[in-house]
Amino acid sequence: MQTLFDALSLGSLYALGALGIALIFGVMRLVNFAHGDVISFSVFALLWPSTDAVALVFAGDLPWFLLIPFVLLMGAGLSVLCELIIFRRFRGANPATMMIASFALGFVIRYFLLMLFSSRPKSISLLPALSQPVEILGARIPLLQVITIVATIAILFALTAFLKRTRFGLEMRAAAENFTMARMLGVRANRVIMGAFALSGALAAAIGLILASQTGTADIQMGGAVMLMAFIATVIGGLGSLPGAVLAGFLLGAASVVMQTLLPIDARPFRDAFVYGAVILVLIFRPQGLIAAPGTKERV
Amino acid sequence: MKNLSRLTIALLSCTALATPVFAEGDKIIVGFATAESGFMQAYDKPAQDAAMIRIGEINAAGGLLGKQIEVVTADTKTDRAEGAKAGLTVVDAGADLVVVSCDYDFGAPAALAAESSGKISFFLCAESIKAGIQGVGPHSFSASVLAAVQGATMAEWSYNKKNARTFYRLLDTWTEYNKGICDGFDYMLPKLEGASLVGEDTFKNEDASIAAQITRIKSLPAEPDAIMLCTMMPGAVSAIKQIRAAGINSMILNGSGVDGSYWLSAVPDLSNFYVPVQGSIYGDDPNPDVTAFNAKYKAATGGDPSTQYVYPGYVMIDVWAKAVERAGTTETTAVVAELEKMNAEPTLFGPRTFTAELHHQNSAKYLIVDTENGKPGVVDSWTISAPIPVADLMK
Amino acid sequence: MTDPNKPASVARRTISTPLILTAILIALALIALASGSRPFNQTVIDIFLRVILVVGLYIFIGNSGVMSFGHIGFTCLGGYAAAWLTMPPMMKQTLLPGLPNWLMQLQLPYWAGALIAALWAALWAAVFGKILLRLSGIAASIATFAMLAMINTIYSNWESVTAATSSVVGIPIVRTIWPYLIAAILSVFIAWAHAISRAGLALRAARDEPTAAAASGVDITKERLIAFVISGAVMGMGGALFAHSIGVVTPDTFYLTLTFTSLSMLVVGGIGSLSGAVLGVVILSSLIQALRWLEAGVTVGSTTFGIPNGLQEITLGIVMIVILAFRPSGIMANSELIWPRARPEKPDEMSGTTPTQQGVTK
Repeated sequence: MQTLFDALSLGSLYALGALGIALIFGVMRLVNFAHGDVISFSVFALLWPSTDAVALVFAGDLPWFLLIPFVLLMGAGLSVLCELIIFRRFRGANPATMMIASFALGFVIRYFLLMLFSSRPKSISLLPALSQPVEILGARIPLLQVITIVATIAILFALTAFLKRTRFGLEMRAAAENFTMARMLGVRANRVIMGAFALSGALAAAIGLILASQTGTADIQMGGAVMLMAFIATVIGGLGSLPGAVLAGFLLGAASVVMQTLLPIDARPFRDAFVYGAVILVLIFRPQGLIAAPGTKERV
Repeated sequence: MKNLSRLTIALLSCTALATPVFAEGDKIIVGFATAESGFMQAYDKPAQDAAMIRIGEINAAGGLLGKQIEVVTADTKTDRAEGAKAGLTVVDAGADLVVVSCDYDFGAPAALAAESSGKISFFLCAESIKAGIQGVGPHSFSASVLAAVQGATMAEWSYNKKNARTFYRLLDTWTEYNKGICDGFDYMLPKLEGASLVGEDTFKNEDASIAAQITRIKSLPAEPDAIMLCTMMPGAVSAIKQIRAAGINSMILNGSGVDGSYWLSAVPDLSNFYVPVQGSIYGDDPNPDVTAFNAKYKAATGGDPSTQYVYPGYVMIDVWAKAVERAGTTETTAVVAELEKMNAEPTLFGPRTFTAELHHQNSAKYLIVDTENGKPGVVDSWTISAPIPVADLMK
Repeated sequence: MTDPNKPASVARRTISTPLILTAILIALALIALASGSRPFNQTVIDIFLRVILVVGLYIFIGNSGVMSFGHIGFTCLGGYAAAWLTMPPMMKQTLLPGLPNWLMQLQLPYWAGALIAALWAALWAAVFGKILLRLSGIAASIATFAMLAMINTIYSNWESVTAATSSVVGIPIVRTIWPYLIAAILSVFIAWAHAISRAGLALRAARDEPTAAAASGVDITKERLIAFVISGAVMGMGGALFAHSIGVVTPDTFYLTLTFTSLSMLVVGGIGSLSGAVLGVVILSSLIQALRWLEAGVTVGSTTFGIPNGLQEITLGIVMIVILAFRPSGIMANSELIWPRARPEKPDEMSGTTPTQQGVTK
């Protein structure tokens, strides 16, 4: 029971991350390595710049109904800014170039944060009320886990509705499926891409919020680990396929938790080797991903 | 394209000429090959500031062997290849003592550069036995205390003073330091009559969630008396927060790496939480000189010490200067010989011993800091009953 | 392409590229020698090591067009192999007690260690390549990344033979510049020889025109595997020399940071060009070095003026983005450095046909 919740909550993080990467990949074939740094940035947006050991809280003390939109806005804002200043210049560049450009951008964001905040991890108490255990079906589960899972499901539903019901969503789906065709049919490319960046940034911020309230730490490298897993999830889910990304995110989370639970103590430190081995297996048997997105087939 | 390469070469030759050249005179030079940027900076800078305070005191009192101590620095950028360069830079600048990064892994390249140039190297606060004869070589020392001593101290103290009998061991496999704490714990536990290990697990510092590990603790028939948590920042905060959020209230024992109040805001009202420290930063050290040092540190840097890792920097210059004074020279072999004669040499932060076998502390007096309701304070002090044998440290 | 006379003439027409690159590398070594400064010497050694790694990456990525995130894994294998082979037995007994006895007693000179390390890495490249290279595109990239992560996790935790995350010390340090120079030149020539070999030409043909190449009988998987193994060997050699340059190996040295910095140098230099690989390293390394000196500051009296810490990395990132924005295919794009008069009629003999620019420009 508890293991199920552990798996779901970790999976939620990866799923949200994978979704953020898949959204952008869908519309512009960009594997965005700056995603992890957007996660870190939205957390640091809660603090005043200072290099002291003690964090000076800035927006972190806002009541939750202001705090959450604030963080989401910061993430979305930064993401859109990146697209306006940088990625707009890389339309049509080959994927490797864009990948390295996004990596360089992430590098810039990370060291910008480092200059302002120093490399020392900062501690913040975000939404402390969530650090309480609750009783569900006989298991004592941290409230935050429950909220993480519920929030992820809510986000997924909202996003599905948005993509299915609104005109903007329709345009975005069309663009993801066949970008050139969609443009010919009158989809405004820049607007759609910007929308994708905004959504992706907001998703990154949501991860940042969950991570920060779970770990109580703001660290300039905090986004990295999640982003890597999310990135892998995006690929095994089928690049560009949003449902695939979500599914793979949950699977990765589950694989990680299950292996931690089942492996004998001596093998446990090697957990990630097993997880990555599983990733290779999945790729070999389903190179197009679990749910292959149309229009992303590799030549040969 | 030819232009490009020509430009590159021109650029390189310019920068080559710009290499700083230091003059060597009638003075003693201490070279700091430490991190001025990157994540180690947060650990190196405070200890280095403390070292500078001791250097300032010595200079004010007329210097060492009648000479003033001068300082040269080179930035390792928290990068090993840069560390090797930084080590060479300060050696070439004439350093008589090469001070290297706090962490063994990041300090080793610079220390090796010093070792191969026949210079004494001192790790600011490395707590692995390899930061010394066993790893870097016969001229290398560390100013701090072995991590294993911390684990052993916490096990023995909690057994004797807190009546802890059932222990759970949770190891973060990220660094050698973490493993060192748990190794010391493993060494001590079988020596404690009636104490038992009821379970163990590992995690990784960067793990976003340690929920699976916590579930394993919770599925024990009874909550353990104490959890030996072998980890460091930043993962430590996350682990502690998640353990408490899951409703586990066992005593949590740690290494010195989690000392400091700067992170306590992340886990409001943390209680039953114990850390060994070499000196107290909370103004309640039994030794008033430590509190006086804290004030001095504040005057020099504008802030209170944020963790106990400030102190080894001061100790380092202190013991080295004494050895130089006794040897009457800064020549490496003579100074090493004097350092190795030190047996329970008193320092501001407890006695220090170096031998020809071990350039590190395998026993030390630790203060125990207890955090209750988010307020840390010294509650006790403890020295392990016998030093940990070198053979056990090396296994 | 199957004309037996072709390779020789291709060799003659393209030999100027490795020669020019060699000249650049030798010039660097001479500058280091002239400066007489040990830290600067170490900096140039560092540049040579990067040249080896980036050229190693180029051999696979440049020729196959498949992005690999995993090659630093071979560097890790090479670095540890060098440690196993060259450390004094005494040190191994205490630090790496789990080594088999014959290896424990062995102590080779560094160059022999580096050669065996290269073979060791090549062996694993063959094993992994056999499994992974049936994939293509981004799936292959992720699979190589998974391989890197597996190697890293295993080396980070296998206490008795790798000392886990702890630094392995006791590796003989080689501070003269020549072995590194020779190795860098060697890797340039290996890359060149592979590129003009039948396997290299076929692989580039498959990169640019997969369907046509497959139709004319090119076994893409096999050609990729050949490139993978050769580049694995070069990366392994680089790893071994890396270990000798600072005398320390740890698993996290050979992980994401090194992967991305080497890839960045390759992409900035020009992913499909050997000259680009070398120039990318030289240019970015020089920039980093120049910024570091600025950051260390100019000391006047007791105060030091310099750019704030962290600005170096930020500037580096911005410069990379700017270069890529103006030259999306890297500084050298797909061309090579050649003597002007030796320029062949068809401009891109060595890099095969120019890959078609993907996507549309607005």
